[in-house]
Amino acid sequence: MQRRDLLRAFGGATAFALLPLDAVAAWSRVASGVRVAEGLSDGQLALVGAIADTILPRTDTPSATDVSVPAFVNVIVGENYVDTQRTQFLAGLDAFDAKAKTDTGTSFVDLAPSARGTFIEALEAAPRTGEPSRMYWRLKGLVLHGYFTSERVSKDVLHTEIMPGRFDGSAPLRVPAAKSGGEEHHHA
Amino acid sequence: MREQTDFDAIVVGSGISGGWAAKELTERGLKTIVLEAGGPVDPAKDFVEHVQPWEMHFRGMGDRAALERDHPIQRECYACDEVGHKFFVNDHDNPYTAPSDAPFRFFRGRQVGGRSITWGRQVYRWSDLDFEANAKDGHGNDWPIRYKDIAPWYSYVEKFIGITGANEGLSQLPDGEFLPAMPMTVVEQDARAKILKAFGGERVMTIGRAAILTQPHNGRLPCHYCGPCERGCVTHSYFNSLGSTLPAAQTTGRLTLRPNSVVAEVLYDPKTSRARGVRVIDAQTMQQTEFTARVVFLCASTIESVRLLLNSKSARFPDGLANSSGTLGRYVMDHHYGSGASGTVPGFTDKRTIGRRPNGIYIARFRNVKRAHPDFLRGYGMQGGSGRSGWGRGTNMPGYGAAFKQSLIDDLGAWSLNASGWGETLPHEDNRITLDPTVKDKWGIPAAHIEVRWRENERAMDKDMSAAMAEMLDAAGCTNVRTHGSNNPPGHCIHEMGGARMSKTATEGVVNSWNQAWDVKNLFLTDGSCMASNGCQNPSITYMALTARAAAHAVDAMKRKEL
Repeated sequence: MQRRDLLRAFGGATAFALLPLDAVAAWSRVASGVRVAEGLSDGQLALVGAIADTILPRTDTPSATDVSVPAFVNVIVGENYVDTQRTQFLAGLDAFDAKAKTDTGTSFVDLAPSARGTFIEALEAAPRTGEPSRMYWRLKGLVLHGYFTSERVSKDVLHTEIMPGRFDGSAPLRVPAAKSGGEEHHHA
Repeated sequence: MREQTDFDAIVVGSGISGGWAAKELTERGLKTIVLEAGGPVDPAKDFVEHVQPWEMHFRGMGDRAALERDHPIQRECYACDEVGHKFFVNDHDNPYTAPSDAPFRFFRGRQVGGRSITWGRQVYRWSDLDFEANAKDGHGNDWPIRYKDIAPWYSYVEKFIGITGANEGLSQLPDGEFLPAMPMTVVEQDARAKILKAFGGERVMTIGRAAILTQPHNGRLPCHYCGPCERGCVTHSYFNSLGSTLPAAQTTGRLTLRPNSVVAEVLYDPKTSRARGVRVIDAQTMQQTEFTARVVFLCASTIESVRLLLNSKSARFPDGLANSSGTLGRYVMDHHYGSGASGTVPGFTDKRTIGRRPNGIYIARFRNVKRAHPDFLRGYGMQGGSGRSGWGRGTNMPGYGAAFKQSLIDDLGAWSLNASGWGETLPHEDNRITLDPTVKDKWGIPAAHIEVRWRENERAMDKDMSAAMAEMLDAAGCTNVRTHGSNNPPGHCIHEMGGARMSKTATEGVVNSWNQAWDVKNLFLTDGSCMASNGCQNPSITYMALTARAAAHAVDAMKRKEL
């Protein structure tokens, strides 16, 4: 990991001054040549779980953590991301929690569910620039992917048929609808 | 027991063309050996189309580190994914080179079945608009054949492999021997009608024509609409050589299929002016064996067949076998593709799709069909599809909590419709394959050096693809219409053609109207290398028809003692 890659990743040196202290610390560790952990720490996993369950809470269907979304996020961040992406993501996660502390006086994981929602709502309404917003939108994509591709949600919630045995291009909509619609596998 | 090394026929490659050569030559009585560079494939074990996302470590997002390590080039192909990568070559064992200012993508599958396992399955006949194109505008050489020469062979191969499609009666896109068409979606039907009306019937959006069964056919089961054909099909519902042509050849009792057989050279006998056979390197042991035969069919793929001939040097042919014309390796083409447009289709929210249709829509070529276009020669077809956005739309959408989750489950989101162009490339003599002077593959065979560039005509056509598709989406009533350009380098479409083109005379090309090398009459090239132009249609069905036609000609000539 080169320092210039980090600078590029964070959008230039001026971004440095705006980063919360935790993120600065994470950045400094990498810039000094110390490799960040391959995946998420227990604390980061708990934070991811809290964010994921705010986005997809338990109702009559499972929550994100019910189907192990944090473990999936850990696989992608730890094993699939390139170093730059991982560093960005982990620093963003730290920045996210630092912002929660600044705005609410407490860690995101210690907030009540309604306060978590309020914080997420404000973050989503803000421009998607800078950390922690960029990390949040990346995470949201991973949370949805991990949730809707899990076995339990695919089978019990979306009722995905592996071998539908037919194609109907104008079937009536039923609720809850199977996830057999929408996607298409085609390339020439 | 000593291995048999003398046969009536040698076929190099076991993919789309090689499978057809094997079937036709064996059924017509020849003891035939098929030499396949890659290993065997067992559909029951190796096909992975039913592996579900939750059964994959990365849930389908791919093992980036492993793909970057083993498949740094192949991974750019959509089908070289978390489970499908096994059907793509290791890039370190199989290098090729290109000039630094002319990137080329060479996506390859070395296994029994070749790229017929991963192909896109789209099949469109050529018409005389295509066969006459070179003669009319002077780019490239005139084809020695016309539609009437190949039409019965299209029918012949289509009847065997099974094609789904709809008759449209278009002169530029002849109808074929179709099994029942797959349905269009409700928004595709609506768009078809509106586009027909808006453009006076000139722009026809039809359901894709695909080598996929919609009813039982020749002992194979119809499609069960699971989706990802490119990972294999345990029911053999789409055509690949593994499930169709190779078993047919096997049934004759005259087929020998030899995997792990890397053909390094075609052996030339100057006394008879014929190909004597081939030199094979065992892919695993590196042991060399010579196989001999009365006739040799090269079906190794466009670039591989050309590379093989370039590497087959002799005193008579110092620049590559069958290259007295000097055209071997030249006039290489691919389709430039990917520019188009997408839009949101208002309404129809009470409708959805059931099943994953492994096929899309096709818009038949409409440029330079009746009127000359001011900006470019030739034309393009467009391919695309429609669907509802599903839960994926939530990725980029504000929202959280119970209501957000429920909306992603209950509401499938808006319909979208998109299509992109697949364009003809003008044949150019400097679009060329040579042998790299230094780089060799794992078996010591010189790597291909591929220099192919898009030029003005292709770039002008790309622009029109986006603009024309946007017009059509507007006409279809779409909102949020967005155009997209394409930066795909040559090769990316995996429709590489040319390099050993068919010609009317021995001085202009490598093979005659029967795919028979002008210089070496018992040598046939029936893969994409023989193509003198490249139309805009997906090419595999044309290779199949030409292969069957060439095999029949070869056997007839042998019976007449001419070969």
